[in-house]
Amino acid sequence: MKTEAKLFVFIGLFAVTMAVIYGIFTAQSPQGLEPVGLVALILTAGLGIMCGFFFWWTGRKTDLRPDDDPDGDIAAIEGDYGFFSPHSWWPLFLGAACGLVMFGAAVGWWLVILAMPLLVLAVIGWTFEYFKGEDAI
Amino acid sequence: MADVATATTASRSNHGIPAGHGPVTRPNMTAVGTMVWLSSELMFFAGLFAMYFTIRAVAPNLWAERTAELNVPYAAANTLVLVISSVWCQLGVFKAEAGIPSRTGKLLQVGSWGMREWYVLTYIFGSIFVAGQVLEYSEMFSAGISLDSDAYGSMFYLTTGFHGLHVTAGLIAFLLIIGRTFTSKKYTHHQATGAIVTSYYWHFVDVVWIALFATIYLLK
Repeated sequence: MKTEAKLFVFIGLFAVTMAVIYGIFTAQSPQGLEPVGLVALILTAGLGIMCGFFFWWTGRKTDLRPDDDPDGDIAAIEGDYGFFSPHSWWPLFLGAACGLVMFGAAVGWWLVILAMPLLVLAVIGWTFEYFKGEDAI
Repeated sequence: MADVATATTASRSNHGIPAGHGPVTRPNMTAVGTMVWLSSELMFFAGLFAMYFTIRAVAPNLWAERTAELNVPYAAANTLVLVISSVWCQLGVFKAEAGIPSRTGKLLQVGSWGMREWYVLTYIFGSIFVAGQVLEYSEMFSAGISLDSDAYGSMFYLTTGFHGLHVTAGLIAFLLIIGRTFTSKKYTHHQATGAIVTSYYWHFVDVVWIALFATIYLLK
């Protein structure tokens, strides 16, 4: 995961550098220090460093992947990646319920109240679909 | 196999590898995905922080007047509750990683607690935080600060409100994660993954609150 980690840490360090430059330049301007861009740049640095650190930390715990080998073959990464739902109606139901709640927020709160039970039902159905009894994944 | 739309089926092709986790040599996709999503959440909060500093820069007099209404010791105590809830959450994660979903001893034997007990405790602390926020809202409201009273009110309720919604969503996630341990006969790796990524979210929301607290209550 070293490549991924370096890539994201680079984004972070770039944003830190830009934040310092931005801060110094706007502080010298007649309007004074401009905080919005400064905050945005510092938190963009957070975005990069957060992901970069996590990738580095994950890479330390896992073995080298075929992706990490410059001479690796595509075929080397075949295998089981994890569990993917083969088919499910719940995401559609969940999306429709979320849509109805948002629609309600736009046209009238009474619709939100009517849509909420549907949203609750969809969330429960979706999260519990593969976690029932003996067949739990 | 006709109804299988993805690269991997619901049945396991390799019995040595727990479903939902991939091979041990691969990073957990759910965890990586959650972290990437959380980094985009950071950008969402960046927008809120940017809003705070913009309004503060254009209305310094309003700030001087309105921040006097803030009850800093009360909010500090509430912050402490949220920070402690993160500690309980992490203790629950250790149990989830060890594959212990529920307590092995009596309820008062804290050392024997499983993921479920620690997450319930986290839930209780999180709900105290949300309840504390509601109480603070009512005090701010009676002081005449509301969402549409002035720019400070808009800023205060939008930043803390969006954070409060995130905490509430986290509480719902805890309920679902705890619920799964009851509906499944066995505690699987996939469930532990769910518990772990929920803790990532919880710690993230906690750190965001510390930043919001520092900005709204300490920096003013």
